[in-house]
Amino acid sequence: MKKHPMLKYLKEEGPAGPRLPLIMCPGCGAGQVLNYALHAVDTILQEDALRKEDFVFISGVGCSSRLASHYLNFDSGWTLHGRALAVATGAQLANPRLKIVVFTGDGDAAAIGGNHFIHTCRRNMDVTIVCMNNGLYGMTGGQVAPTTPIGQTTTTTPYGNVEDEFDLCRLAQTAGATYVARWTTAHPHQVIKSILKGIRKKGTAFIEILSQCPVHCKTSPVEMFRNMKKITVPLKKSTAGPAAGKIPVGEFCDIDKPDWIERYQKIMDQLSE
Amino acid sequence: MSNNEILKPGVYYLQGAQACLEGAITAGCRVYAGYPITPATEIMEHAAHRLPRLGGRFIQMEDEISSASVLLGASWAGAKAMTATSSPGFSLMQEVISFAIMTETPLVIVDVQRPGPGQGYITTGQEDVMQARWGHHGEGSIIALSPASVQDMFEFTIEAFNLAERWRTPVLVMAEETVAHMRERLIVPALGTIPIVNRIKPQDMGIAPEHYLPYGHAQVPPMATWGEGYNVNHVSLVHHEDGNVTRYNPKVHFENVARIHRKIEDHVDTIARLETRELEGCRHVLICYGSVSRTGIEAVLEARAERGIPIGFIRLHTLWPFPERQLRDLLPDVDVVFVPEMNLGMMAHPIMEALRDRCRRVVSIPSLGSLHSPEMILARIYEELQ
Amino acid sequence: MNRLCLNATYCKGCLICVEACPTGAIKASGRINSKGYVLPEEDDMRRCTGCNLCETVCPDFAITIETADGEGG
Repeated sequence: MKKHPMLKYLKEEGPAGPRLPLIMCPGCGAGQVLNYALHAVDTILQEDALRKEDFVFISGVGCSSRLASHYLNFDSGWTLHGRALAVATGAQLANPRLKIVVFTGDGDAAAIGGNHFIHTCRRNMDVTIVCMNNGLYGMTGGQVAPTTPIGQTTTTTPYGNVEDEFDLCRLAQTAGATYVARWTTAHPHQVIKSILKGIRKKGTAFIEILSQCPVHCKTSPVEMFRNMKKITVPLKKSTAGPAAGKIPVGEFCDIDKPDWIERYQKIMDQLSE
Repeated sequence: MSNNEILKPGVYYLQGAQACLEGAITAGCRVYAGYPITPATEIMEHAAHRLPRLGGRFIQMEDEISSASVLLGASWAGAKAMTATSSPGFSLMQEVISFAIMTETPLVIVDVQRPGPGQGYITTGQEDVMQARWGHHGEGSIIALSPASVQDMFEFTIEAFNLAERWRTPVLVMAEETVAHMRERLIVPALGTIPIVNRIKPQDMGIAPEHYLPYGHAQVPPMATWGEGYNVNHVSLVHHEDGNVTRYNPKVHFENVARIHRKIEDHVDTIARLETRELEGCRHVLICYGSVSRTGIEAVLEARAERGIPIGFIRLHTLWPFPERQLRDLLPDVDVVFVPEMNLGMMAHPIMEALRDRCRRVVSIPSLGSLHSPEMILARIYEELQ
Repeated sequence: MNRLCLNATYCKGCLICVEACPTGAIKASGRINSKGYVLPEEDDMRRCTGCNLCETVCPDFAITIETADGEGG
């Protein structure tokens, strides 16, 4: 029977037994994002002059970060909570030819990892950040996150969240990222295209994907998937401000700016003359 | 240094901080990430000057945690990488150290110790020596060296990289402000005489990617570099030899962590170094480390010459793994063991444990924030023995 | 006619594939796998255009379409 074509990029079996199915809950958006990311990588491997060994996937900690734990048939690193981008920076300094994709979540990137997130964008490090935003901390049981809407009940806001949420894309753009996009798991082709663009483009690409957590939102995967298009609006059609009530999706920013390695290389070249 | 090479053989007059960084680049370090903190900043500033001249890359990160995290990615991508910090930054790096131990990642962290707790002060100290061993959460052993001179800052940093590569582990250089800031002669020997060790890779053992076990094949597993087709997954959950983290079972857990622990502890005799003087026929001994050994030896020689006290001298070059057996083998039964430290008594504890049945008592000689003078140490020796 | 290829071990019964299918060619079956997940199955594969959305949106790499000519979708 024909196998799913992306399985060639995953480690299904090994000496210590099977690694699949993924540990994610049924209908979790993270698995979908992995599927989309692998589609993008697959296209690049066919069309561009890149080889499989040029890719590295780095993640932090959390449900989204499990994507780069031990499933990938690529070089990968499942690192510390919030610090994936610093690890990615190190890999880039050691070998700028590596194509680095970072899997992270809203808590991993914007709470504990917030500092490294804004500095990575500021430096325009050449990484593609795939941020799965489910508006909460999934792995630990559904706590409030910097992306939880105001008023929301979570395990640590049992009386309702009293804080406003980050707009991660605006944060990335303000901090200096050169490609910023937001989609949802219900926008498969757009996500694939954005990840493709992000990998191909030099500099920091930040792709936020609204990703459902059916378990903590106590809603079926199908219903959450169906709702994605209802709660979002294409950027060009969105009215300004959160009063519009819907989340704008699209490409927020696509500019060209030298990345960190390129700028530092100039110094290295000058010194070696 | 405005040349594009490692230090040539010869005599130099350098600050300890500079000597440390020169040792690192002589050992092959080509990635440095750091954050400013007194009294370690000079190492970083020297790195900023030197790394790009040797084809390396330097970056000042936004904090110590990310500085240490950079080393992980750099090491996995094949580079030798280092950072230097001081005590408060050292506290911040503990999670990364724990992670490096579990993922068996070679890297070097220099802690230029200053007094604590809290901001403490910006002078010298040895108050992190216990933290070096026990500061990271969880099990797993670590290697920590204690330089006492500018020469040591050069040589011990090279040794730190060699140990990191050989044993696939983070290695700490527990320097002190005294040693980082002092200026002394450095002698760089003929290049062929400095051994440089590089990690063993699966290619070196003829292991093909399809047969590679990232945490297997040997007690010190061969380490694949990113970008060479080995599809290595670095994980810090307890794992099987093939890097699988599913199918938890206590037996696999124990084997994983016990191997990492024994990887270092089984080889104390190879890893740990110490030096001794005047041990023959001694009835007492002074055991010290770091810059305190500079005044400690003066006190020992004077006590012997001026008052004929049969006291010997041991200087620990390696704090961890602690050389318990070597100490016991070297020493006869003694009366008093003196342990001067720039803390209130830290290494005195493993020393006490090691020599529990071989001495009558261990006497700590504390100093906080400044180096003991020989007179301070002598005063305590005479008080105790007369 | 295209054929649905399902890995019943990997499938977690989220049924997003059924939701994503634009022509209603597949549906939830009455079968469950060993973990108790409800599996999708073919409904009317004459409607299947080989768009492969089911394959693309699957979180578990469990479903794909084999086209009538034996190649992929």
